[in-house]
Parts: sequence; structure tokens; C-alpha cells
Amino acid sequence: MKYTIVSELVGTPGDEFIPAEGINIEALVEGGFIKAEKHNNKTKSED
Amino acid sequence: MATSTYLANPVVTVNAVALTGFCTAASMVRTLESIDQTSFGETSRTYTAGLANNTTTMTLFMTYGAAEVYATLKSLVGTRTTVTMKPGSGANSPTSPLHTMQNCYLEELPVLDSTVGELSTIELTFTGGTYSETVA
Repeated sequence: MKYTIVSELVGTPGDEFIPAEGINIEALVEGGFIKAEKHNNKTKSED
Repeated sequence: MATSTYLANPVVTVNAVALTGFCTAASMVRTLESIDQTSFGETSRTYTAGLANNTTTMTLFMTYGAAEVYATLKSLVGTRTTVTMKPGSGANSPTSPLHTMQNCYLEELPVLDSTVGELSTIELTFTGGTYSETVA
């Protein structure tokens, strides 16, 4: 799962959030500080 | 004799959220429980280090805005998280070490503590956890 920063209290909004060990990810998502991004498994075909 | 002036202005994060702008007091205390190792024939008690039993406390202005103090804490009560503190905002260094308490436990959260004519503040205590220091 990839996470994106929403609140500047966590980092730069729009940047990927890479959690350190011991960070409660669910609390950050629930609090609106970061959001989860679903992976897009589709790959572009090269023509 | 004091060799440097230190005006308290630490950087505080709880669960990776920077709460410095809401924090008015912060403390991180390392404690290693003492175990009595005194044996027969000795005339004074001597001790050795036992388990670490650290404590992290802070006082915060309580705010209920989106992605602020309450939003940070409401899901952490009854769980373990990571708290960091630094003496100042500069880069980590031996003179500005980053203190980290990982897996410390938040037992209680005052969800409302108001007094007429005063800003609402709460006091938090995180117990336990593993301490580390980062200087680079």
C-alpha cells in the first residue's frame, strides 16, 4: 500500500509517506493526515 | 557554570505528526529499574540495571480542527506509537540529538478539559517504549 501526505504536519503534502517503524498508519489515515493510494497494476504497453 | 544558553524550544512529534505548534511542555525520561544485588558480607546496598521503564510526557493545547491535536490522538489511546523530541529544529547532530521513544503506550486521553476563560490544555503520558538517540 502506498500512502500520500495530506497534512503539512506530517510532511510535504503530495509526497509519498514512508512510515518509520512503530508508526500507527491507521491512526494517521483516520485522522486525515495521510491517504492510502491503491496500486495501479496496469502497465503501459510500448508500441 | 553554564556553558551554553538553552531556551526550550523543542520539536515534538507524536506518531509522525509534528505537534510542536501545540505543545507547551515536553519531557522524555529514561529509566532503568534498579535491581538490588547486595550480597552477604557487604555493608552497603549495590544495584544493577534492570528493565527499561521510560516515560514521555507533554502538555498540549487541545484543538479539534481537521488533522490537528484530537485527530492525532483519538486513535492512539490504548495503543503503542512512536514519539520523538529534539532540542531544536536543526539537523540531527551530537549537539541537537533526536530522541525517539518507539512503541510507547498511551493509556489515557483527556477528550475534553475546559475552564472558562482559558485555552483548553491536556497532559499526556506515554509509558514504556524503547529509547534511541540519533545524532546524524
